[in-house]
Amino acid sequence: MDRRTVLKAALAGAGSLAAPAYLRAQSAKKLSLLTWNIADQQALFAQEFAEFKAANPGVEIEWLDKKGPDLPAFYQTQIVAGTPPDIVDLQGAIWVQYAADGGLVDLTPYLKNEPEIAKRFNPDYLGGWAYQGKTYLLPFYVAKTLLFYNKTMFKEAGLEGPPQSFDDILGFAQKMAKGEKTGFLTLNFDWLYWPLFKMNGVELLSTDGKKAAFNTPQTVDLLGRLAKATDAGGINKIAWTGRWVEPNGAFASGTVGMLHAHSASYFFVKGQGPWINGETLGATQVPGFWSTPTNHGFAISKGSKNPDLAWSFIKHMTSDKSALTFFKSRSVLTANIAADTEGLAALEKSEPLAAAVLRTQIEHTDKLTGNWPLPYDAELKDALWPEIQNAVLGRKDARTALSDAERNVNRLLARKG
Amino acid sequence: MAAILEAQAPMRAGTLLRERTRRTLLVWCFLVPSLAIFLIYRIIPLAWNVILSFEYWTPLRPAEFAGLDHYQDLLDDEVFWQALWNTVMVIASAPIGIAIALALALLVNSDIRGRDVYRTIIFLSYPLMTVAVAIIWRWMFDERVGLINYTARLLNLIDKPIPFLNSFTFALPSVIAANIWQMLGFYMIILLTGLQNIPHELHEAAAIDGASLWQRFWRITLPLLRPSVFLAFVIGMLNSVTSFDLVYVMTGGGPGRATEILVTYIYKLGFGQTKFDYAAAVTVVFFVLLIGIAWGANRLSGGDAGAVDTQ
Repeated sequence: MDRRTVLKAALAGAGSLAAPAYLRAQSAKKLSLLTWNIADQQALFAQEFAEFKAANPGVEIEWLDKKGPDLPAFYQTQIVAGTPPDIVDLQGAIWVQYAADGGLVDLTPYLKNEPEIAKRFNPDYLGGWAYQGKTYLLPFYVAKTLLFYNKTMFKEAGLEGPPQSFDDILGFAQKMAKGEKTGFLTLNFDWLYWPLFKMNGVELLSTDGKKAAFNTPQTVDLLGRLAKATDAGGINKIAWTGRWVEPNGAFASGTVGMLHAHSASYFFVKGQGPWINGETLGATQVPGFWSTPTNHGFAISKGSKNPDLAWSFIKHMTSDKSALTFFKSRSVLTANIAADTEGLAALEKSEPLAAAVLRTQIEHTDKLTGNWPLPYDAELKDALWPEIQNAVLGRKDARTALSDAERNVNRLLARKG
Repeated sequence: MAAILEAQAPMRAGTLLRERTRRTLLVWCFLVPSLAIFLIYRIIPLAWNVILSFEYWTPLRPAEFAGLDHYQDLLDDEVFWQALWNTVMVIASAPIGIAIALALALLVNSDIRGRDVYRTIIFLSYPLMTVAVAIIWRWMFDERVGLINYTARLLNLIDKPIPFLNSFTFALPSVIAANIWQMLGFYMIILLTGLQNIPHELHEAAAIDGASLWQRFWRITLPLLRPSVFLAFVIGMLNSVTSFDLVYVMTGGGPGRATEILVTYIYKLGFGQTKFDYAAAVTVVFFVLLIGIAWGANRLSGGDAGAVDTQ
């Protein structure tokens, strides 16, 4: 073979290799998805992506998953770099800041054009993703707070049934507190403790959102009672100092009578606590039925090059079929009414205790609290929570702590205009 | 002959100049890559950080001039002052670690059997990943299953477990203890090197003159160890106050702000609250603090740290 032939063959070979890549680059659309700590769903997502790709030929999907504390940092660096993922799974109130800063696509026009999409979801959960009248996320999976209680400890203390009022909570907690045992714990991150305040008539901000509204005699009294109960051992101190592992772990150890937490805690404590079964663990609403949600939703980044395709993708991921598959895979509610109804019916037969826990999540969804759509949610928490801690742990008296908190919050609100 | 030498002089001078220029170029060729990295990853980010501290900026909005607003906010920021205080406490704990390490260094510098093994064992804590150290100590301090509470109760030192990492009183000392444990090996190696550089004759002469062990330590060993102590202090201090992972994993800065140090606060401001501009202002203050401490430590140790002996 002469040199010219070899050269021609090499060029032809290179061209034939390059051509599909070139054609792929022209025809392929890529969607990037960033999720929050659900890397265990690889098999399920592979199936979901395959179905979406079959319905949308030429689409490639890149999936990234980040652990909770890492996702906001990662997402923000991607925004600064100009390469935000097309779709992002957001949790808590961090989305409000992104929405307020124009970083998320307003889904309202899409929902107006396809009203059947909105009808899939529990309206209270869907409504939680609205800011200034615009919807920015579709529900992915949801959880809200409830009251778990140790039936064995209740029996030992001569208590029948769960508490029916805040006074009951404190009274029962004190009755069960003996030695190393305590009566009550709450999770405290992301406003999860707020139902305790709401059930006592405490409001965070004025109706116009311009001033702190929590510094009232009721709140002083409430904090005083919580501090007293904590000091007396009725309330476990970890309620105010722990985050996730410590309070859930303490309840799982079987030494705490009641745990105020979201439904996600059930699976953690069940894994850690061999004593837990249908006879020993109860799950109910807190008195007054108030609860704080910790929901996940899909948003589309403003920097997405394919927003319409991203919208199709999140519709697919939150469809009845996909939501039901996700429910069954993770035993978690999705806010998709059809999926949750069917999923719960199946779970009743296989895991009645889990079903009882999850059933609380679709009850009283009109009494959600602690989910104000405020762009400065993180700063507001920072302005208030340390003073609440100071009060309930006896480091400051309630009146001083609340005054300090009010000053901090009002200063923040004044700066934000 | 003289004329020949005179004619050759400019040529030699020219050759020498070319030789010097070549050597200078060669030196710069070796320096430029490191300087480039230093410029790109240290100087430019530092300069941008200072500029950012005078602006209002978020990832999704363009920058606006803020003047001294962020620095004024710092004055009213209770969390900043708490974090600063905690940072100072962490810095102030470095001498404790150095003192313990000095005792260990003196021990392993003596003629005890198996001293090489002891040196290795003591040093082992230093190369461990800080995250691993934090997790180990978090479990050691755990209220329910931690080794420390278990041992203390076994020895009847306490009747109820102590929630070390959930206590406003014990949380910061617990984090400091973990930090000192990790740094002990590093301090020991630095001080051991310093000890081994002290001439034996000085101790022998002092012993002959009747100086006691303590006097030899106080008058000979310690003064001659000053450069090593300074080095250990500066590096240890820098390591401690930038020990984000240790604090973040052990306590997350809690309970409350009991273990919040400046570096964790900066992280939370930037990535938790998206207040990169305000975080930049806190960073500038932090930087000035570290420079001040390093300068002060240099003065206390004789003022010649980093000097090169050109004799």
